[in-house]
Amino acid sequence: MQPKHSGTYFTGRRTRIYGLVGLVLLLIVVAAIATGIGSVGVPLNTTFSILVDKLPWVEITPTWPDALTTIILDIRLPRVILAGLVGAALAVAGATYQGLFRNPLADPYLIGVAQGASLGAVVGFLLPVSWNLAGYGLIPLLAFAGALAATATVYLLARVGKTLPVTTLILAGVALGALLASIVSYLIISSGEAMHGIIFWLMGSFALSKWSEIWVVLPYVAVGTGFLILFARMLNVMQLDEEQAQQLGVNVERLKLALLAAATLITATSVAFVGTIGFVGIIIPHTVRLIWGADHRYLLPLACLTGAIFMILTDLVARTALAPTEIPIGVITAICGAPFFLYLLRRRKKAIF
Amino acid sequence: MKSTLKLLAVLGLAAVLLAAILTGCTCGATTPEETTPATTGVTTPSPVVVTDQKGREVTVAAATRIVSLAPSNTEIIYAMGIADRLVGRTDYCNYPPEASEVPSIGGFSTPDLETIVALEPDLVLATSIHEEIVGQLEALGIATVVLNPQTIDDILASIDLVGRAAGAEAEATALASEMSARIEAVAAKTAGMTGDDLVRTCFVVWHDPLMLAGGDTIYEELIRTAGGANIVSDQSGYPSIDLEDVIVTDPQVVIVGYGMGDGEDLALQYLRDEPRLAGIAARQNDRIYGIDQDIVGRFGPRIVDALEQFASFLHPELFGTPDQ
Repeated sequence: MQPKHSGTYFTGRRTRIYGLVGLVLLLIVVAAIATGIGSVGVPLNTTFSILVDKLPWVEITPTWPDALTTIILDIRLPRVILAGLVGAALAVAGATYQGLFRNPLADPYLIGVAQGASLGAVVGFLLPVSWNLAGYGLIPLLAFAGALAATATVYLLARVGKTLPVTTLILAGVALGALLASIVSYLIISSGEAMHGIIFWLMGSFALSKWSEIWVVLPYVAVGTGFLILFARMLNVMQLDEEQAQQLGVNVERLKLALLAAATLITATSVAFVGTIGFVGIIIPHTVRLIWGADHRYLLPLACLTGAIFMILTDLVARTALAPTEIPIGVITAICGAPFFLYLLRRRKKAIF
Repeated sequence: MKSTLKLLAVLGLAAVLLAAILTGCTCGATTPEETTPATTGVTTPSPVVVTDQKGREVTVAAATRIVSLAPSNTEIIYAMGIADRLVGRTDYCNYPPEASEVPSIGGFSTPDLETIVALEPDLVLATSIHEEIVGQLEALGIATVVLNPQTIDDILASIDLVGRAAGAEAEATALASEMSARIEAVAAKTAGMTGDDLVRTCFVVWHDPLMLAGGDTIYEELIRTAGGANIVSDQSGYPSIDLEDVIVTDPQVVIVGYGMGDGEDLALQYLRDEPRLAGIAARQNDRIYGIDQDIVGRFGPRIVDALEQFASFLHPELFGTPDQ
């Protein structure tokens, strides 16, 4: 079967499968490399031995200092895995939002998730609560709650009877987002000592990622992403006018709500733990579309994998370029993502949204 | 097209194999140094339990390799004379100059956990903004003591705390006594001052917006102990106030912190040049002084230097004319 030439390179079914397989392999390689590199130099064979030693049937007597085991298993590995999860979540959510709103500029933060999470996190920073909160602390909880509350408010504002008009949703999201952002600004000004921490949180970072965070993020992201990929064919149908989709038998309103909820959930989970990292939700889905076409059944899984690889690589750059100082990851995603995307745009003579 | 993809798949597999082969060779950066206590001849003290300034109970088994997460903590260690045990400091730890020879573990708000762990410290001195990393260090079993002084007495207490945690009580007591003596020397002369004896003054943090230090900050304490009256004593935190309020309250002395970041003295220049402030007493008598933010803004041993400077700004008749 010859791959179809419809303005993109790879739109044949087999080529997309190869793409999926290739990306899975690439993800494993990138994750392994990222675990092996960091601000502290660790020889590759030590890294490999430490990782292999964790397998239950393997027992290697350590010839390296304990500190290296801690660094690889408790500092770097959770960080790489969390970066992969968040990258995948943001990319898939971005692709879903773009499909739902039929708008190429839609990103996961469109309807207030980022601003709601920021407000929750800032409140968490400012509350005079004692330090001893087990696991992950107050801030991710409040950020998550803030994100969901903001989205729920936008939904309630935009709902018209039983329908959820897309334009109203966007407008309500932008308006509420602006309001929340201004509240956040005011709180930052009056935050005093906490200002430093707040600003760094808002810029997004994978520093200090913990296993306990991964056990929370993983189920949400896995379930949400799985749900979205299952309904990817519906997203294809939604690209038609909503009326046409309805005539084709799709329960448009319920579907919109379900997809929106799933995408928002995985975004909120990601933002709650790592702050607001921009660009991934827009750049990755568009890049995948330019290479492999806009069929959501493949777009979503491919975006998932590409997002994970991209995030792991940018996090690697963020923590090693100026070690031991960390560059905010939002800066790296913009610097790396934007030029590549522009290059892709130039190469494609035809628009492909 | 199909063959390109096959090529990519093969390359991917090859990369995986290559990674596996590479792990068999020892190529890579050097391992961290074998850990030895940074100093010999110091007997390891038995485990000490201290309560830090955030109310946490910390068990310190030994303190031979200390990492400091703040410039103030670094200065305390050097002032106590136990700097031979310091193995890590932040990028901003610039005093004393010898501190730059100690390896850096990152920024003030962004310390790098990997680097800290690789240094294998047995005691980490943090501050109240390091909540998250303190939690991580605790989880990894590294003794972390949080210093959080809000007043001059708190600073003396924090030195005492470091002394107990590091098994260096004698050095801590010596430092604290010396500091107390200098503080007392200033306080004794200003003790009886009331009303007009107290010089109307304020401490300027930044000029745009004009931010002053309010009544619940350490600057208020410095001003009071040095025989002054803070014109924004009734406000808390670091309020931004209008020029008109400054003109109306007419401070006799204005103290400006300079050196935020790169030695910038923009705020100082502004206070000295702004034409609308020409009428205040401080400008008329040329009593607008700058003080290095590194000295007055770090809650460490040099706070007494700051106090003595404040005293000479406010009462040159008692403490000698200031250097500016």
